[in-house]
Amino acid sequence: MDHDRSARVWGAIRAVADGASPSLAHAVSACAQALSAAGAGLAMTRDGGLLEPVLATSPEIGELDELQFELGEGPSGEAATISAPVLNPDLAGVAAGRRWPAFAAAGGARGVRGVFAFPVAAGAARVGVLTVYRREPGPLQREQLEEALVFADALFVLALDSRHGVSPDLDEVIGAAFTARRAEVHQAAGRLASQQRISVTDALLRLRAHAYSSGLSLYTVAVDVMSDRLHLDGDLATGGHPPRQPDPTDPTDPEQDEKEQEED
Amino acid sequence: MSASDRRVREVFIELSDTLVDDFDVIEFLDRLAAHCSELLGVSACGILLADHHGALNLVAASTEQARLVELTQLQTLQGPCFEAFSTGRPVQHPDLRNAHGRWPRFTAAAVSGGYLSVQALPMRLRDTVLGAVNLFSRTTGELDADTITLGQALADAATIGIVHQRALARQEIVTEQLQNALNSRILIEQAKGFLSHSLDIDVDDAFALMRSYARANNRRLTEVADDIVQTRLTLTPAPAPE
Repeated sequence: MDHDRSARVWGAIRAVADGASPSLAHAVSACAQALSAAGAGLAMTRDGGLLEPVLATSPEIGELDELQFELGEGPSGEAATISAPVLNPDLAGVAAGRRWPAFAAAGGARGVRGVFAFPVAAGAARVGVLTVYRREPGPLQREQLEEALVFADALFVLALDSRHGVSPDLDEVIGAAFTARRAEVHQAAGRLASQQRISVTDALLRLRAHAYSSGLSLYTVAVDVMSDRLHLDGDLATGGHPPRQPDPTDPTDPEQDEKEQEED
Repeated sequence: MSASDRRVREVFIELSDTLVDDFDVIEFLDRLAAHCSELLGVSACGILLADHHGALNLVAASTEQARLVELTQLQTLQGPCFEAFSTGRPVQHPDLRNAHGRWPRFTAAAVSGGYLSVQALPMRLRDTVLGAVNLFSRTTGELDADTITLGQALADAATIGIVHQRALARQEIVTEQLQNALNSRILIEQAKGFLSHSLDIDVDDAFALMRSYARANNRRLTEVADDIVQTRLTLTPAPAPE
């Protein structure tokens, strides 16, 4: 098991944050450094599903990110459309030239060869795209690719938190990044989306915000939502956690597994 | 051997037919889990894949009971699948009632779920282990060599399904396909939760409903799940069984 990769990624983000609360900008910057990239940019989904560049590690990279959206072509938009990474090892190559003629030319003019775009998403909760630009042509090594995916996951967690205006401490963030992959958390997000007629992204955000305000783990909140023990209404600030009797015979009862989950 | 050669051949043909361009990886693994149970004469089968964090995730289980046991394994980070995954070798235990020392929590969950023996097979691609297939039996005893060979062939079929016929492809494609499988699973869980509220059914019925809708309409399970959570598609509850 390689839990080290997540710890390494969050450690890199923390190092860039230099004592401050980790932000999207810190994570994008740490990702560019980790992948020896010329830079990286983050585009985020606005209401209505349109992607919009929001930050970049340098003005030059920001221009490239903007250009993709002005031209309406490029790997970032494609990654969002297909909900999968789009990896282009060489913008000067024939394939890239056919696929994105104007963008490939613009990238080439700025000395960028490799472009790699990663959705910042969990299932239907799609919040944006992370795009990494490199000066050297060639594919990402496996370790770099997997690290980039972990950075995209970190951005997902940070993006949810920044929308809610909370800045949790790093241990909480790391714990949540792990537990967010549990089936129950995603089921609960879907259930809440249907109950409240909101998007899955907003539902996940409410689950996380409730976990923070109540001091419970995300997994515990999710299990409570799925078992109807907890109803989160629209107003989160006042959403309380009702008294709950742990059922000692329930193998899925969160209280019993709390320790292991936090280590998971 | 617990299945006729003819049936084994049929299953492999069916699985390779599934590997067309627009195939749905979760649908494929779900069928594969069911076929493992049938062909190998075991009671249940679970399929686990490693994500880019290096953590194992459950992507398919042939029964709800097996799903719960697998989740215990994932929560406690111990059990035969973890060993098969970390060593890249098959792991088996013929009588879980004597395995408390080895995997205390997993064993307790498996035995209380009615499973008395287990076999875990690694899903290997060249020098990488992508995940593991777990086979649960309600009886004690080891699986015979032929059954294990067939089980490993099915585990290899799962691996090929995930890398989507591109077994010789570059590592980055393998990582992408793994990511795709795991993200599809997340989407399906979200849709299960959505239907659990909108139709007031439990999550397993929600999954069965999505699957039968996808099959009846010749659509990919993942697309159906996405349409449901984006409220582009409203499913009606299945009619009560006769």
